Amino acid sequence: MRSGPVRRALRGGLGRRRVQTAVIGLVLLVTTGAAVLALAVVADSNAPFDAAFAAQRGADITATINPARASPARLAATRRLPQIVAAAGPFAEVTTSLQLTIATAGPAGAARLLIPSVTLVGRAAPDGPVDDIALQSGHWPTGPGQIVLSGNQAGSSLPVQPSPGMPVTAVGAAGKPELTVVGIASSVTGTADGWVTPAEITRLTTPQEPASTQMLYRFRAAGDDAAVRADAAAVAGALPPGAVTAIQSYLPVRLQETLGIAPIAPFVAAFGIIGLAMSVLIVANVVSGSVVSGYRRIGVLKSIGFTPGQVSAAYAGQALIPAAAGCTAGVLAGNLLSGALLGRAASVYQVGTLGVPSWVNLSVPAAMLVVVGIAALVPAIRAGRLSAIRAIAAGRAPRSGGGYGAHRLLGRLPVVRPVTIGLAASFARPARTAVTLVATLLGAAAVTFAVGLGASLTRVESGLSLAGTEQVFVSLPTAPGSGVSGVRMGAGGAQSTRVALLPKGVRPAAPAAAEHAVAAALRAQPGTAHFVAETDQQVTVAGLAQQIPVTAFRGDAGWTGYQMISGRWYTGPGQVVVPTHFLTVTGKSLGNPVSFTFGGRQITARIVGEVFDGDNSGLAMITAWQTLASADPRLAQTSQYDVELRSGTSAPAYVQALSTALGPAYGVSLNGAGRGLPLVLGLIDALTLLLGAVAGLGVLNTVVLQTRERVHDLGVFKAIGMTPRQTVVMIVCWVAGIGLVAGLIAVPLGIALQRYLVPVMASAAGTALPASILDVYGGWQLGGLALAGMAIAVAGSLAPAVWAASARTETAMRAE
Amino acid sequence: MQTLIELSDVTKRYDDDGHPAVEHVSFAVAPGEAVAIMGPSGSGKSTLLNLIAGLDRPTSGTVTVAGERVDKLSETGGARFRRQQVGMIFQFFNLLDDLTVADNVMLPAQLAGESRGKALGRAGELLAALHISQHADAYPARLSGGERQRVAIARALVNRPALLLADEPTGALDSATGSEIGELLLDLNTSGQSLVMVTHNPDLASRYAGRVILLVDGRISSDVTTGPQVRR
Repeated sequence: MRSGPVRRALRGGLGRRRVQTAVIGLVLLVTTGAAVLALAVVADSNAPFDAAFAAQRGADITATINPARASPARLAATRRLPQIVAAAGPFAEVTTSLQLTIATAGPAGAARLLIPSVTLVGRAAPDGPVDDIALQSGHWPTGPGQIVLSGNQAGSSLPVQPSPGMPVTAVGAAGKPELTVVGIASSVTGTADGWVTPAEITRLTTPQEPASTQMLYRFRAAGDDAAVRADAAAVAGALPPGAVTAIQSYLPVRLQETLGIAPIAPFVAAFGIIGLAMSVLIVANVVSGSVVSGYRRIGVLKSIGFTPGQVSAAYAGQALIPAAAGCTAGVLAGNLLSGALLGRAASVYQVGTLGVPSWVNLSVPAAMLVVVGIAALVPAIRAGRLSAIRAIAAGRAPRSGGGYGAHRLLGRLPVVRPVTIGLAASFARPARTAVTLVATLLGAAAVTFAVGLGASLTRVESGLSLAGTEQVFVSLPTAPGSGVSGVRMGAGGAQSTRVALLPKGVRPAAPAAAEHAVAAALRAQPGTAHFVAETDQQVTVAGLAQQIPVTAFRGDAGWTGYQMISGRWYTGPGQVVVPTHFLTVTGKSLGNPVSFTFGGRQITARIVGEVFDGDNSGLAMITAWQTLASADPRLAQTSQYDVELRSGTSAPAYVQALSTALGPAYGVSLNGAGRGLPLVLGLIDALTLLLGAVAGLGVLNTVVLQTRERVHDLGVFKAIGMTPRQTVVMIVCWVAGIGLVAGLIAVPLGIALQRYLVPVMASAAGTALPASILDVYGGWQLGGLALAGMAIAVAGSLAPAVWAASARTETAMRAE
Repeated sequence: MQTLIELSDVTKRYDDDGHPAVEHVSFAVAPGEAVAIMGPSGSGKSTLLNLIAGLDRPTSGTVTVAGERVDKLSETGGARFRRQQVGMIFQFFNLLDDLTVADNVMLPAQLAGESRGKALGRAGELLAALHISQHADAYPARLSGGERQRVAIARALVNRPALLLADEPTGALDSATGSEIGELLLDLNTSGQSLVMVTHNPDLASRYAGRVILLVDGRISSDVTTGPQVRR
């Protein structure tokens, strides 16, 4: 086929139909960008962590071993287990309390930060066959008095961030040795909170806290909990009984890191699919419209010698050229959008810039062009098959009116004439109307879905953060060297733990006195509605490789706002409520007993409820204080008080007043919102806006087509006295009725999508959902959403309507 | 004598450097006159009609119709002007195929704010007067050329305009039908309707118009009164 004539015909077609060309280009830009973003998020939901884990040779398990029970020879023998591909250690390990001295803006100029139960490991170098420590700043310890702190601590919920040069006191060690932070580093699985030289470990031990031995292992098969448990059992089995005191799996860390992205993958994918469907419909509509309105031109082309193939190529090209341009721009846009989402995760693991996988950048535009090509080819082939005479005759013949019945019916309504004429006009071309309706419906359904999704996610965040009920926290300082096992910081899954900032010279009160002081202050403080003491402890659950946190309330905690997914809140000691992931991992269900070890004693409780809680990625328990106290009441000391305020109380003012009342030894803080939610809500809003814009472009194309087809009629309307405003109303009504119908159908569709996808997202995050998370649509809201379709239609039609209204009447009249 | 239409030194140019479609045209039309504007193709006849109807604006000069400076009207003003003062009849009828005959006739009245009932009544009167009331519920595609032009005339008269403008009203009709339409226009003029029509048919002009303005290359070549003029 000779391409010269086709190219010229193509250029002419593209030039004459600039609006349609722009519509195709923009639609493909938006939908390709959304599809790239969707696929990148889906593909990369695990990639940042997995890439870092592979690059840093992360430890599948971190084993803490009693050196008194396992000799170096036995430890070395574990390296030869058939399951193991690499091992590192033995490293000396100790758990102690650290006190950081940090500069503050307050009058004291400095404050001391207590961090209990910090795991320190003695390593001569950061690298090794397993667990390559990534140094983020400073340098590795080279001698005594030097310490590198874990970067995980920097990303934890601590109010301050350690930095090189910061003085540190090992208050939990004999003699309270002084150290200086020389570097900040990160272990991909948080094998330790800090590192010192091997010789330094000796200075940090106490008779109560002697050094343990840490071994790090990588296995041939460690892809799931069962495999990791089997690997851990193999290691423990290769050592004398009781030698292994703790095993930490990498899986909870991986799960926690992927939680930021994996749950949003389903909704991003849904938007991508909706966008793809809309782009197919709109492109098909554009090309079909070009063919129908170009019948005469097709006839002329054929009469001068164009073959059917050349005509088809010219019309297919009119769609594919702007589509290709749009896809290219869409890939760039999708990469920019994805970069913001994925780049942050990449920097934490120092694996360079994580972007969109190249296969996504290639496959998405290829797939879009194939789909769009098929959508364009069908009408293009139809164009090629038209006989020249018929095409010319059809192009010249007066456009046969359609929708007679609608005109007659609507003309009888007591509504201004431009409205009834406009509404009836949509019945003239049923196929085009149907395509426009579906495209608008998809856009409106996306809006309904997005509104519900945003509301659900907001409720999820509120349900997890309990910011609606537990507005204020009061934290109690942990006494150094008290022997209280606090929360393991920065390792094996983030723990949200609040510790009190102690200004210089201020000593913490004894626990009982502190509790009494706080309780009294809370009762005296106006604005206090409820408060309850909470203790956060670590327990070892039978069947789980690592310790998990337990939150125990001392008093009535029914008001704290935890939402039950199934079962009920505990009503007394010996009962626990657990998140969904706990049930999944342990294989337990409601009513089952669960045994765990606390303070060296075994406790058995019954699972009475499945609670909506994200603590430790859903591996946690909540119970009454008496459940833990039954093992050792001295150990279950209060960590903090949770406070609900009376309605109308200013939370910042309350915090200020309570801080003044309690003094500097206590930490009073507000319960802030989730960090990730604004980003996700922003993503939802952006995608919804994009899809709404695509739907609007589809409407714009329809109106432009009809305006061109009816340009002579528009001239007649104007000649007999239709004002520009009446013309705009009429043209908008061409599609407003379609939009209204689309909106009415879109509401139940969008709700169904929300009801389906939100649980899918929750499942990706390892949790089920309370019903309240899904029941988010209010009556008035639904009414407004039903108008979304009409809003899209009106928005898409306004520009061409105004253009048509302002065009000179005599110009329109000359158009034939 | 009162003036219904007054053009004063009107020029219309479509391109800055091209030949003007209408050049330095001045004339006046009194109420009740029937004026034919004649000339060869491209002489500016239809342009002149569009300027009088407010469908287009002159490059220079003034156009006053029924006391209104039509050359200064906005699109909205022009549309209102046409509803109230002007009825337009076109060579190819320009009826709306989606609407019935009655709906076509009523449309200008409804656009002017008349209720459907009143507009329907007025349309019925006109269709009866033009002997096509039997086609009220039919669609234009089913009518003959002459019948369609009668519908177009009824539509043009529905708002009782001061002026009828007809652009080649018989151009798409056979001679017999054309004569019928010509007689119809003459009857309207006889009863006082002011009429300006564009035609290239000298026979039509001489039979149905009392005055003939000849345009050549956009300029008035002659302006001849051919028969008795009807005065209001």
